[in-house]
Order: sequence, then C-alpha cells, then structure tokens
Amino acid sequence: MLMISPRMASGMQEKQYTPSLLNFFVYNPTFGPREGEEEKKILFYHPSDVEKNEKIRNVGLCEAIVQFTRTFCPTKPAKSLHTQKNRQFFFEPEDSFWIVMVVRNPMIEKPNKDGKPPTVEYQEEEILDTVYGAVVRQCYSMYKLFNGTFGRAMEAGGVELLIQKLEKFFYRYLQTLHLQSCDLLDVFGGISFFPLDKMTYLKIQSFVNRVEESLSLIKYTAFLYNDQLIWSGLEQDDMKILYKYLTTSLFPRHSEPELAGRDSPLRPEVAGNLLHYGRFLTGPSNLKDPEAKFRFPKIFVSTEDGYEELHLIVYKAMSAAACFMISASVELTREFCEQLDGLVGPQLTLLASDICEQFTINRRISGPEKEPQFKFIYFNHMNLAEKSTIHMRKTASVCLTSVHPDLMKILGDINCDFARVDEDEEIIVKAMTDYWVVGKKSDQRELYVILNQKNANLIEVNEEVKRLCATQFNNIFFLD
Amino acid sequence: MDGEGQRAAASWENGTLAPVDRLRSERADSPTPGLVEGTEPGAGQKSAMFVHAQSFEDLTAEAEEEARRETELDKSGECADDLKALEEQHSNDVSSEARTKEEDVSSEAWRSHRKHVFVLSEAGKPIYTRYGTEEALSSTMGVMMALVSFVEAEKNIIRSIHADGCKVVFLTKSPLVLVGVSRTCQSDKELLRELQYIYYQIVSLLTLTQLNHIFQHKQNYDLRRLLAGSEYLTDNLLHRLDRDPGLLLSAVTCLPLPSSSRDVVSSSLQAAKSKSLVFSILLAGDRLVTLVRKKDQFLHHIDLHLVFNLVGSSSSFREGEGWTPICLPKFNTAGFFHAHISYLEPASELCLILVSTDREDFFNMSDCKKRFLERLSKRTAYTALKEALKCPSYSVAQVGIPELRHFLYKSKSSGLYTSPEFPEVYQSDEEQERLMGLYQDLHSCLHHPTRPLRSFYRCSESENLLAWVTSGFELYLCFSPLGTKALAVSAVTKLLKWIRKEEDRLFILSPLTY
Repeated sequence: MLMISPRMASGMQEKQYTPSLLNFFVYNPTFGPREGEEEKKILFYHPSDVEKNEKIRNVGLCEAIVQFTRTFCPTKPAKSLHTQKNRQFFFEPEDSFWIVMVVRNPMIEKPNKDGKPPTVEYQEEEILDTVYGAVVRQCYSMYKLFNGTFGRAMEAGGVELLIQKLEKFFYRYLQTLHLQSCDLLDVFGGISFFPLDKMTYLKIQSFVNRVEESLSLIKYTAFLYNDQLIWSGLEQDDMKILYKYLTTSLFPRHSEPELAGRDSPLRPEVAGNLLHYGRFLTGPSNLKDPEAKFRFPKIFVSTEDGYEELHLIVYKAMSAAACFMISASVELTREFCEQLDGLVGPQLTLLASDICEQFTINRRISGPEKEPQFKFIYFNHMNLAEKSTIHMRKTASVCLTSVHPDLMKILGDINCDFARVDEDEEIIVKAMTDYWVVGKKSDQRELYVILNQKNANLIEVNEEVKRLCATQFNNIFFLD
Repeated sequence: MDGEGQRAAASWENGTLAPVDRLRSERADSPTPGLVEGTEPGAGQKSAMFVHAQSFEDLTAEAEEEARRETELDKSGECADDLKALEEQHSNDVSSEARTKEEDVSSEAWRSHRKHVFVLSEAGKPIYTRYGTEEALSSTMGVMMALVSFVEAEKNIIRSIHADGCKVVFLTKSPLVLVGVSRTCQSDKELLRELQYIYYQIVSLLTLTQLNHIFQHKQNYDLRRLLAGSEYLTDNLLHRLDRDPGLLLSAVTCLPLPSSSRDVVSSSLQAAKSKSLVFSILLAGDRLVTLVRKKDQFLHHIDLHLVFNLVGSSSSFREGEGWTPICLPKFNTAGFFHAHISYLEPASELCLILVSTDREDFFNMSDCKKRFLERLSKRTAYTALKEALKCPSYSVAQVGIPELRHFLYKSKSSGLYTSPEFPEVYQSDEEQERLMGLYQDLHSCLHHPTRPLRSFYRCSESENLLAWVTSGFELYLCFSPLGTKALAVSAVTKLLKWIRKEEDRLFILSPLTY
C-alpha cells in the first residue's frame, strides 16, 4: 500500500511505504536432505514466480538460522530474524514443518536531484515481533480449521496432496492479510462478547437446546449477535479461530445485501418468505432454487483424542447468527436444510428483534454517550474476552483505529513488557506527543488505556484510570 | 520548544562572558520541569568537559568522521613498537586474572551464560570469546560469519535473531564482526551499545588504521597474536557494562568533594602543564576527581570509560609510573596517545592520568606529575581530598525521601551523573545486576529510536520505578513496592532540590583548561 506523506522536501514528494508481505513459504527440511534435492523441501512458496534458486537460497537461510540458534538454546527455536530491509518470522507448527513469513520494513523513498535514483530509508523499529508472530500462527490455525493438520494431508495423500492443499488455501488466504493494519488485537486474538441481561441470555440458551433436540444431527452450536459472541459449544481455541473467520471474512462478505435497499439488485431473493428473515450464509443461497447445492464448508475441530471433521452451517437472521456444526460423515440433504430453515428461521428472527430491543433499552439507561477522554483495550486470557474502544470497525479489508499508529505501537511495547514477567504489573508512560498510556496486568487480565489529557500529572492519570475501572470493570481487581 | 531552545542558547552565550559567580546566583533555586539545558542541577558553569552526548545514539555515529579531525598525533607507523610496550605492560597481569576459559563449549553450563560476546574477523577467524576458547568455537564463529555474508550478498544487513528467552545481535564494524548472545531482557539497542564498546576497546589497543592495514594486507590474519594478553580488558569492560550506570547513561560520576577543594586540585593540575599534554585526569577508583583539558579539545565519555577500564583492570600501574600507548577512538581512530599513569601515593586510590601526544614525553609527564603533587601537597585541599576518599559515595537516606531506594541523575549538559550507593536490598551481585537491568529497560524505553517517551512509571511486585527525561536531565528512581504514585511525584521535586543543594559537592561545576 502506498501512502503519500504530507511532508514535502523542496517541492519533491517523499513516498512512504507501509509494511508489506515479501515472501511466505512452508518447508520441511527432511524432505530433501541430499544436495541437489533442496527444491523438494519447499511445499509452498509465495510469490510463486520467484526463481527456483532464490527460493532454495531463502529456505536455506531459514534452516541455517534455526540450526545456528540451537547452538545457544537447543529447546527454544528461533522465532524471528531482523535485517535492515525486512523481518522474517519462523513457526514450526508440526514436527519439522516450518512456516516462514517475510515482511518488508516500512520505508521512505526520498527523491534525489539530477535524476539519481531515490534514496530508500528503512524504518527498522516499526514492526512488532509479537504482532507478526501472532499473524503467522493465525495463518496456520486458519489452514488447520479448514484442512486439518499438515500430517493429516500427508497421511491421506502424501506430499502431493499437502502441496495441493497449501496452494489452494494460501493462494487466497494471503490476499486477505492486511499487514499494515495488524496490531495488539492480533496478539490477543480474542473474542468480543455481547453484553446481555440474564433473561435474554436464558432465551438464547433455550433456543439452542430446542434446536439441538429437534435436529439431533447437530453436534455443536454457536450464537452471535452484531459480530459478537453470546454462546458457544466449541472448545475455546477452536471458537477463537472460527470467530476470527466469521467476523473478518464471512460476515463482512454478506453484510452488503442487508444494507442495500429493498429493490437493490444486491438484495437476494426473499422468495416470498414473509415469515422470517433467516437465510444461509454458507451452503444454498436460495432454498427454492431447484439447482441449489447443499454443500457446506468443512472445518476441523479438536476432540479429546485428535480432531473431527464437521460441516459448518452459518444461518443468519438480521443481526443474529447461529452456527450449527454437523459431523462430516453425514450427507446434508435438501430436506434437512428445509427443516432447519423452517425451524430456526422464525425463532431466530424473533430472538434477533428481542435482543435488539433489550440492547437499545440498556443503552438508554446508561445515558447518552459523550466522547470520553480515554480509549481502551481490555483482554482476558482466561475466557479470551476482548473489548476495544480504539478500533472503530474491523472488517475483512480494514481495521480502522482512532488513535495514532505510534500510540498503538506503544501499547504493543507495553504488552511485550508484560509478557516477559509472570506477575502483576502496571506501566504508565507519557509519550512525546503528551498522550498518556496506561497498561495494567492483573491475574490473567490486561487493560490498556490511552488518555488525552496532556496537562495531567501521574496522580491525575491514575485517578482517571481508577474511575474507568470502577465504571467499566467494577468486578475486576487491578493492582494499585 | 524552539523558543526554549533559543533562550537556552542566549543564556549560554552570556554564560561564557559573565563571571562565574554571577551566573551561579542567577540559577533558579528550585528546578522546574521546564528547566532548560545548561541550567539543570550539575550543569557545568563555563563549558562542558566532554563532547556533548545526549544519549547512546552518539555511539552509532560513524567513527569515520573523526578521522578528519585535525590533530598533531603520531601516525600509525609506530604502532607495532607501541603494542609491544603495551603487551609488556599487561603481561604482568595476565596470570593474576582468572579467566574461565577452559570450558566445554557444548555443555549446558557454557550455553547458559547470561551474555556471550564473540569477536571475529571478516574472514570468520575467531578473535575473542567471553567464555570458552576461541579454538573450540571456530566453527560456531564460522557460521556467524557465513550468516553475515549471506545476508550481505542480498544487499541487506543482518541485525538480530530472536528466540524465546534468547537473542543474538550482530554488529559489523569492518574489518571486525561482533556478535552478542544474551539471555537477559535487554533490548537490541542496549546490546548493540555494548558491542560498540567492545569494538572501541579493541580499536583503543590497535587504532583503526592499524586494524585496517593488517586485514588489507592479510585477510586471514589471526588477530589474537596481537591482542594476546589483553583479553582481560575486554572481560573487564563486559563486567562494567553489566554494573556501571555511567556506561549506560553515557556519563561519568564524580568523587563527592567540596567545590573549594576541588577547585584547588583542578588549578594545581592546570598549572602542571606541558606542551604536548592534552588531558590530565585525576581518578579516585571509578570516580572522577577532576579533569583538565587543552582548550578546544574534548574527551568523549566513551574514551574516558576506556581509560577508566584500562586503569581499573590492571594492578601494574600501582608499581610505579606507567607509560602506555592508547588510542582514544572517539577522538581519533587513526593514532595513539601516550598515557602516563601513576598513583599519587602507593596505597592511595588517587590515580593520575596524563595524556600526551608525544611518545617520547615520558619524563616530561613524570615532571608534570611531580609539579602537581608538590603544589597540591602544600595546600589543605589535599587533606580534604584524602578525607573525601573515605566516603566516596553517599547513602540514599541523606536525601530523606521515604520508600526511595536508589536513583540515577544525569545532567545532560555536563555529562556527569550522580547516584547513591546500593541499599541493603540490592547487596548481592545478582540483585545489583537486576536493578541495573531495570534501569537499562527504562533507558531503552525512554530513548526508543522512533517512539521516545517523556516519562515511564512501572509498578511491580518487587519495586516501583520512575524515569523522566527533559532537555536538561535524565532521572531514574527506584522505590520500594510500597511507594505510591503520589509519593513518586513529590519525590522528584524533593530530589531535584536536594541535588541542587548538593551540586557543588557532587558535580564538577567549573572545569578548567590549560
């Protein structure tokens, strides 16, 4: 991505480049141990049009770095390599399988006079290891969600199948990586929960129970409202990555039709069904279509002794979405889908309007929102709960934050600090722009606050954060 | 900001014209946050003794520029002789320095050292290792060089490798390559700074000109042949880097001494001048008593720390008058100075270093020392100085701030810092190094290359820390975990007042020139 910096150097413009993906590859050093066979190690390489020798060279460097680091710490593998121009992130998700992501440092291009080539200045301190390390791990988790482990593909169809699967998945997935907008939230990879009163929560729970009882094929259910999670029957780690998929990929792709006007061509055929607003986000887009296919994406979730393969049905009515997961060994038919549509559609529509009403009432009680003096990010490692008033909107393509990128990086720096020691800590810093940034870690919870009170002192900032904790997190103890 | 800067510049000009006393009366009684550089507690009255060093960023400045500086120094032709002299000087010490060299480099014990440092030539030949022997590590160093050249071949530069709890930092300073492997939490920047020091340490023994000459002549040269017997200097410097706040802050600390006495010592030193004498330095252990320099010649704090390291590392200077070549790399990487090093009295901590440009100047320097001592011993200031040696530091209790355990205060314009002795809770070596580690952390957060901070407060289970940087000073405070934020805020004001009150004693306010 190219951004033109507002700075002008004697009439000539400086160009500022944000971090970008240079290479992404997967290799297994045991696949081509002999000289001359190095190419066999490479299972996937992006961009694919790179010359063969260069691929081999780059993989060779990674192998050398990993091997060299073992001289000093045999048990902990190398995670990243910093160079002037880029950073490389290494991840060994399965024995001997390595995923490597190479990210170019942001840079500034300064034009030179007299037709000389422009001077390039690399900004080496801008990329946070924790953020991009998390991005690589997320890439693998997402692959695993839809394909199972690398080992599974090897068992099922050998290296050829694995190469094929990697190619198919990463070719598209890498296009959705937006490296310039990754931040602390990627490190947490948390789940935003929808705040709800007890009554409505019980209604949702009984809805889930009723559906699971009537449609006994359903193994797991998850319920979301407004892209926020309310109920999940999945293991936390599986839900975490499924949530990421739903909120950053599936939902944004389907949000446009609902926003579009009634007569818009974007709006799908409601097909005369006036009883409810329910529709399938995965599988058939129109049940009435005689040509409709009843194929759903398959996902892999962990079980006590390995993993299981499931159909993923996502069904949405207004802002409420329900995910139903059914064993992949069952073939899903038109009859089943019609039954599900008939049962879930009306109930979900009703629930959606209930929740919406409740939500509006609650908001009215808490009073009109005025622009607060602070912005915050909260994360709880125990239940993965995440809350951010910094991020205005997180979609597949953009993650808009309402604060300066440098402040976001300071949050990242504080987070790294916290990760080093396993004890409660508090850090309060004042940036050169006079913003105050506060980080608190207590038990398994982390809170980051950015205050725009330039003339405040340490004591006043502390008071302000205390007030925030009392109003937003009244049940949570933070080290004072 | 700009307005402030201009005002500072204006008062600075006045400062050089106005008599010292007037200026002193003009200083603010209580320092305020808006303090401008040059008026903070501890700021020198006339002009700084050192090259202005805002922070360690200075270190990354290329040394090449200094080569242009005009000096009347020897050129490198005589290096070989000088080196021999240096080796003889040091040969006495080698046996006394216990080196933990004979160590199995594949053992867990070797691996688990907190910080490894390796120096190699661009041909991959081992030059120095902190632990183990160079021979046993030659293949490891070969790999290091291979990594450096591989990345270089892509028109790129390798910086560092990170694993959980371990990082490897590379510094290429042609014709040398330095590699640090650390299990500490130190930032890359801090580790690089330490490698830079090691690089300068080696240059101070050989000069860069000589170093380049050797490797241009024979790329495969085994530099250990020249450096043999001097490894303990590097060992010692690494030890200092872990423990001495001065190396972290790019500053030096002074022996607390009433200014009246210090002024007498300084003027006695000033009077003992000689044609080729550039710097006269009087040390008390690791503390500076006074420094007199030739007009227009400044000593960089790195060079000064290298001199400290040289003096502190060898006991041979106690046996008589030492005469040793030394390159001050921040001053000039091309040539040697010649240092006359001697203790004022046999069992005294007071060490006099006279730095001359002339290698035949030994007797002249010896005479300077004699004159200085004659003059000084007639004055009562000498008694006061000897008295001051008995308490070279002070306890934090003197400041009178409850829950304050320790602090570092650096006056930016004078390049001097003050700090009390370590309190009870930080008595063991590990605890002291841990505290230094915390200070290093704060330092690298405040001086982040792209996201610098004004202040940093950390509250943890073992202590509370506050760091604050202004245009005039840097301040690092360590409180007990019981200290509150309110206390920390009031402590800053109180401490600055105390330092202002004591600045005559703790700092060198009126440095002299010949």
